[in-house]
Amino acid sequence: MTGARSSILLVEDEPEIRRFLRATLAAEGYRVVESPSGRRGSIDAATHKPDLAIVDLGLPDFDGVEVIRRIREWSAMPILVLSARVHERSKIDALDAGADDYVTKPFAVGELLARIRAGLRHGVRRPGGGAVLELEDATVDLDRRKATRGGAEVHLTPIELRLLSALARHAGMVVTQRQLLTEVWGPTHAADTHYLRIYMKQLRDKLEKDPIRPRHLRTETGVGYRLVIGD
Amino acid sequence: MERRYPWAGFAWAAVAVAACTGVGLAMRARFDLVNIAMVYVLGVVVVALRHARGPAIATAVLCVLAFDFLFVPPRGTLTVDDAQYLLTFAILVAIALVISHLTGDVRRRARALAALEMEAETERIRATLLASISHDLRTPLAVMTGASSTLAERGEKLAAGERAALAKSILDQAREMSEHVAKVLQMTRLETGSLVLERDWASIAEIAGTVLGRLAERLATHRVMLEIPEDVPLVRVDAALVEQALANLMENAARHTPPGTVVRLRVERAADEIIVSVENFGGDLPRADLERIFAKFERGVAESSGGMGLGLAICRAIVRLHGGRAWAERIAGGGIAFRFTLALEPAPLVPAEPASAEAR
Repeated sequence: MTGARSSILLVEDEPEIRRFLRATLAAEGYRVVESPSGRRGSIDAATHKPDLAIVDLGLPDFDGVEVIRRIREWSAMPILVLSARVHERSKIDALDAGADDYVTKPFAVGELLARIRAGLRHGVRRPGGGAVLELEDATVDLDRRKATRGGAEVHLTPIELRLLSALARHAGMVVTQRQLLTEVWGPTHAADTHYLRIYMKQLRDKLEKDPIRPRHLRTETGVGYRLVIGD
Repeated sequence: MERRYPWAGFAWAAVAVAACTGVGLAMRARFDLVNIAMVYVLGVVVVALRHARGPAIATAVLCVLAFDFLFVPPRGTLTVDDAQYLLTFAILVAIALVISHLTGDVRRRARALAALEMEAETERIRATLLASISHDLRTPLAVMTGASSTLAERGEKLAAGERAALAKSILDQAREMSEHVAKVLQMTRLETGSLVLERDWASIAEIAGTVLGRLAERLATHRVMLEIPEDVPLVRVDAALVEQALANLMENAARHTPPGTVVRLRVERAADEIIVSVENFGGDLPRADLERIFAKFERGVAESSGGMGLGLAICRAIVRLHGGRAWAERIAGGGIAFRFTLALEPAPLVPAEPASAEAR
């Protein structure tokens, strides 16, 4: 399926979890490098230069967030976090430290693979290319700032467009509320989450077939939003 | 209260003495001194019953002084003509000591008893928890062990379809179990008070949408109807927790009512709160059970429909943590409504977007 044989670094201390992930990822055609600890993982990331890293947050030697920080010092490789903790806080900490997305344990493999594909797509994305979003019920051309729905033009305000672009830059991946607010309204509004509630509703009303049950503009409660296209 | 305000007892002593004196002065014209002394006895008894020994003795001493000064001849002095009044004084002080000692004893015992009861309650919860865990986890574990050992030991003898079905049932049971465990953990967190609310402006419609997405598979058996007005204001809540409270209600509706029936998710705006309702039209409960089902490990109908009986308890704990109410009521025409409230706060302002350049 993936002709390029992307390589994935798996930083996880539980051998049983490594075992089934290795089997699954290998079956999907990925090359897998395994690290059982945070220290090892940070070194392996530098020596193997994988296309994507999967980092467990509960490592024995040091916190997964620390691994993410160390990788981010020198690399922009996509990083997926495995989090056993239900609490939103640890996910947000990891995302703020530079992780691109997370999967909460226990997870089904389909979900993880979808995140990996989104991460790898993001890693090779050329800036400016393919800025047309094909949604179920609408099409948005971000470059030409034009949206249509059922043949008719839909007017998107400048803020709506910026918000949609911010989500589209990380298509398939979660974008934290803080990130969105900073990118769209500026750092002084990083805590004004009610802006997001209002504008996400507007976007859904304009672009989603069923705005209450959105297919594309998904909420990650307490964490942020995710633009899902295809998959 | 007594411990926090030790001086309160003494204040009450003064009040009691003043009250007795007032009554005594009013009685003086028509009653014997003995009866007036009885009024003071009553004052001492009351204070001794309600307060510690210190205020009780203070009351007795003040009563003696007041009685002596105002009523015992010669009036207006503390001297006593008749020695028998000295006995009256001694008895007043003795009463104060005896009664305050007795009530102190009773209070200590009540405290010990309350502690014991608390311990018994904790023990009961622990026992129910263990029983529930062993019952609710044993079945999925049995299925998982059986199905996975079949796959591991004789998988090659099975048809591909059978293998897939076994794997699917392991997955389903594992999911069920993981939800059980998550609920037990959540309940523990809610009860120990270790959970800190992370309040933030949230849209109840958005939360409802996330719940519907998350439970899509489980709700597929029912007809879900939505009634959420466009203009519901934002609420300041811990969205992840409220999502869970609502999810528990929806899940319950799907689990405990017959397939094909309607489940209606409704949001209404009241004066200073919003009311979120999950109404089912296929369930029934005796009136007496409407409150009981919110207790931990209580199920509406015995066991058969599964679930651990924690969903509603968690829902209520979350709602209460937010200062709201959660309850169930019967709907006219059959069915049960589960409702909870969330307080409204003055909505924050969102600056209007400057008139867009796209005037066309």
